[in-house]
Amino acid sequence: MAKRLLEFRDATALVGIGYTPFSKDSGVSTLTLACRAVMSALDDAGLTPDDVDGIATHRVGDSAAPSLVGPALGIDAPTWHLDQFGGGSVSHAIVGQAALAVAAGIADVVVCYRAINARSEFRMGTAPNPSPETQYLAPYGYGAPVQQFAMYARTHMLKYGTKAEDFGRVAIRQRAYAASNPRALMREPITMDDYLASRPIAEPLRLLDCCLETDGACAVVVTTAERARDLRRPPVLVSGAAWGGGDSFLAPGEPTVTAAAALAPRLYGMAGVGPTDIDVAELYDCFTYSVIVQLEDYGFCAKGEGGPFAASGEGPPVNTHGGFLSEGYVHGLNHVAEAVSQLRGDAGERQVAGAEVALSTAQPGHILPATSALILRRG
Amino acid sequence: MDRDSAEWWELAATGVLAVQRCDACGLTRFPARAFCAACRTEGWSWAPLAPMGVVESWIVSRWRAPEPFTVVRVRPAEARGCVMYGTWRGEREPRQGERVVAVFTERPSIEWRPEDAGGHAT
Repeated sequence: MAKRLLEFRDATALVGIGYTPFSKDSGVSTLTLACRAVMSALDDAGLTPDDVDGIATHRVGDSAAPSLVGPALGIDAPTWHLDQFGGGSVSHAIVGQAALAVAAGIADVVVCYRAINARSEFRMGTAPNPSPETQYLAPYGYGAPVQQFAMYARTHMLKYGTKAEDFGRVAIRQRAYAASNPRALMREPITMDDYLASRPIAEPLRLLDCCLETDGACAVVVTTAERARDLRRPPVLVSGAAWGGGDSFLAPGEPTVTAAAALAPRLYGMAGVGPTDIDVAELYDCFTYSVIVQLEDYGFCAKGEGGPFAASGEGPPVNTHGGFLSEGYVHGLNHVAEAVSQLRGDAGERQVAGAEVALSTAQPGHILPATSALILRRG
Repeated sequence: MDRDSAEWWELAATGVLAVQRCDACGLTRFPARAFCAACRTEGWSWAPLAPMGVVESWIVSRWRAPEPFTVVRVRPAEARGCVMYGTWRGEREPRQGERVVAVFTERPSIEWRPEDAGGHAT
């Protein structure tokens, strides 16, 4: 492995996490949500806006830019900023890029945020999509994320015999985790009967396969591993960060394999770990199916076995906060924040005992042709 | 539609199912792109295809629609490396691997009818 990649391993740390409450109607702007999450994360780290010299977000024309959030908090001259276009595919990429900026010495303290009013202002699938490919989908009433993932989920069911009940087990298990997460929007336990009776949205996917359209924000703070040792919380080191390609909905590739399959070996190699070292996994769950296909593509089970594997509960605990299905959907950073919480040991009733290494992933590359992921380690 | 795809839509409006074929290496591609992703050259021609496809997957969508409707993901029979989508024009659910016939509408758009429903491409 390249020497400089080894130098990147564990050179930076996540030292603070922050949230606004998750809701169906925040009643405030995305700028206000972003500021609140950033202040919360800085407070968690024992830092203030005066310490911040880098700001990063990702968005799809639906949220406040770093150039607004910085001045709104008196961060007038950041030395580094990132305003990444994209949704869940790049949620982890912005944290990885912040870690690169810190490791390179461009910035010392970077705050990454994602703020959305995804229920009350900009509902998923309704924002204008600038991709020229949508012209080949829109005439058929096709193109919303739930429709696209349903199309891929069906190919997996047809090829490997994956069952609706396998999807259901993912939803049921994550809801059970959410019961002990005070942030979670949905905490009432559900049964397989509830799952199977939930209304079809885009068959084969049902309502309970879908994440929650959520208003809210989440932020994480990145600094050097060295500085992290002097801060308020136990540091969580960035062992690996990886970016991947992806397949657009008009790509000719095998539809049951995501871009995560090509990314995973690079990510594990950078971090110096493998799937069996992962103690807790926060896997992008825009829909139940994305968990199943990632269990395969991140190497927890063989291709095609993700359905029964997920249903059995083998492998590391997955989506311990309830995930996007039950905690809320702020597009990815809440997976990173939960991984941090687990590795610090402050996840309360849902704490995974002895968690030392976590995998956290972005949308595996089925819609926007990109993906990203992080491996984090207790410092 | 964008500038790269304008001619594709004009062909569709005349009842022609087409993809690009690279002049240098012969690879077919869709949707329209200036460069061949395999040999990285710009020269290409439209390749009219038999208006036939093979069903790869489908959904029955009820998302923000008063009535459920079915969308199929199809590989053109003569360009299996390409993927197209379209409304399903069948009385039953699609079957993976079945052959379908392109139906050109005036919007313009391309929809897909099961081959065993009879008739020819319109």
